Amino acid sequence: MTPTGDDLDSHFDRLLRDPLTRRRLMQRGAAGALSFSALAYLAACGEETGGGADTGAEGTKAIRKGKISDTLYFANWPLYIEEDRGTLKEFQKEYGTKVKYVEEINDNTEFFGKVRQQYARGDSGGRDIHVVTDWMAARMMRLGYVQKFDKSEMPNASRNLIDRLKSPPFDKRREFSMPWQSGFTGIIYRRDKVKREPRSVDDLFDPDYKGKVTMLSEMRDTVSVVAASMGADPETASLDEFMRAVDKIGQAAESGQVRGFTGNEYTKDITKGDSWVILGWSGDAVQLEADNPNIRFVAPETGVHLWTDNMQIPVGAPHAFTAQKMIDFVYRPEVQADIAEYVNYICPVEGVKEILTRRDPALGQNQLIFPDEQTLSNAFIMRQLKPDDERELEEAFQQVIGA
Amino acid sequence: MAARLRKAGLPYALLIPGLGWLAIFFAIPLLYMLFESLKQGTIDTGFIFNWEFSNYTNALSDFSEQFLRSFEYAGLATLFALIIGYPLAYVIAFRGGRWRNALLLAVIVPFFVTYLIRTLSWETILSDSGFVSDTLRTVGVLSEGGRLLDTTFSVVAGITYNFLPFMILPLYASLERIDPRMLEAGYDLYGRRRDVFLRVTLPLSMPGVVAGTLLTFIPAAGDFINAELLGTPNQYMIGNVIQSRYLEVADYPTAAALSFILMALMLAIVVLWARVAGTEALLGTERERR
Repeated sequence: MTPTGDDLDSHFDRLLRDPLTRRRLMQRGAAGALSFSALAYLAACGEETGGGADTGAEGTKAIRKGKISDTLYFANWPLYIEEDRGTLKEFQKEYGTKVKYVEEINDNTEFFGKVRQQYARGDSGGRDIHVVTDWMAARMMRLGYVQKFDKSEMPNASRNLIDRLKSPPFDKRREFSMPWQSGFTGIIYRRDKVKREPRSVDDLFDPDYKGKVTMLSEMRDTVSVVAASMGADPETASLDEFMRAVDKIGQAAESGQVRGFTGNEYTKDITKGDSWVILGWSGDAVQLEADNPNIRFVAPETGVHLWTDNMQIPVGAPHAFTAQKMIDFVYRPEVQADIAEYVNYICPVEGVKEILTRRDPALGQNQLIFPDEQTLSNAFIMRQLKPDDERELEEAFQQVIGA
Repeated sequence: MAARLRKAGLPYALLIPGLGWLAIFFAIPLLYMLFESLKQGTIDTGFIFNWEFSNYTNALSDFSEQFLRSFEYAGLATLFALIIGYPLAYVIAFRGGRWRNALLLAVIVPFFVTYLIRTLSWETILSDSGFVSDTLRTVGVLSEGGRLLDTTFSVVAGITYNFLPFMILPLYASLERIDPRMLEAGYDLYGRRRDVFLRVTLPLSMPGVVAGTLLTFIPAAGDFINAELLGTPNQYMIGNVIQSRYLEVADYPTAAALSFILMALMLAIVVLWARVAGTEALLGTERERR
């Protein structure tokens, strides 16, 4: 008897009437994400073939010019835009397009399972934009499920994307994906519980913290950071090096050192004090720090994982041209400032820092939202593995986290 | 003639919605899943139907630990639910008096709250620095660094709590139906309280016990929420594995094979239990009514 997501959300809404922060909403979202619809499974079970565009991403033509449409379907993760959706209203005011913004993505693989059959047929299921994490964005490209941007129609995006994200390994020229938000995976800890400030991931394996450590159930977050702490460079590491990290994580889970592997729900464990030293995401950390002075985020010396959630336009999107406009729209600094102010993840847009500094100097100075060169030099982007290797690693990791 | 025919056909016609429902939402998906469980491939290259029976053997050998754990936890939870539920149902049925309905309602009311929220609240109750852990630590039951949450205890406790009404309600139904004259007859025959309970009440309530244990055990064995929220990977049950195979690894054939194995094992256990407890107990309600 799994309650449905809708039930649960409305239930939570009634139960919790306290002031909303994104983080609190995230906690609710995490609970909702537990439930899954049978439909997603059923949709995922059909036959699968290569993909809509047979040549894969490389050979495809860019999106053709067209008219601005009346509607646009934007699929995104929960709580990833301002509460009042001001950005979408502004877009409507300027272009006359009503944006149907659906928070339907809770998990990359789950979303992939849901859309795979449609995308393979070249049908986007009505979606014009979806947002997925780097490795999934790469998979979408590999399978030919996404359209190529016409960059000449995207002046803001071309101009304002921050340098560090301009050419990720999977999309060197940013022709099939544009960052929505980025974030760091690093260490979050309780100042009042630890004996000294943790500096590296090794502190998560300190026997003094046995049973007070959690890691992330998202494989790439946990494995890349641990691999880096073992001397590997996740940008170039081999499958073996990642596998060694998985072994180390597995032993820690077996021994009870690691208490569990979590999604967003780690926020409540560390707030309650059930966990002390954990792997977590920077955007959450900004909010946790604001709410509880004992909670801190630290970038491990051996490197933080820099990940990005990317906007893409799926094949068969009914309003691809307008979608392209939308993507460009959020690359206007004044538009992005509103989003950044609310979500607190790393802002991928140049020029926002100045705007936010005027509004709230603390936000403008925050290294987790506007990291400087030094912070970024310590950040790595995990490399894209070959499909078979990726699967092997994913399986090994799932085995370790008990599933 | 026509009227009589229509009359004869009517009961069958009334079955159509139910049968249709079963066909569309149970039989067809089940076949679909069977088909899926015999495929071979990966999410990227696609899955091909290949009579891949090794999915079953691999699933069984890779996840035997979680299978065993599921049945262990479900068995423990069923036992605890019976120990907690039987006296409760007994008191409500025989001593409840005019409070009977109110007491029954009290059993059910907590379950008006969503399953997930109830489980999440256990997370708070059993928290490391929570009231329960603190008290137990002060009393010395729990060691200094010990914890309740994220242990086998918390998972079994969560399952027991979550499925308790499924135990209490059938128990109550069978106890309440016992004819008081049977008990009186027992006493008239110089039976002591214990004898009357063991020889009259308990046997007559067996249908409730069997129904209650089945209604508790079956969903408990497939549960994944309790292990997910109140446990760690070391407590994960087969439900967690199936969930992650479907949604995280996207390994649909293995997930489907696991589901079938779970169903088969469950069926075997239920049949065995019915043998042990006696089919009479299961059908007892039928006979009584006659």
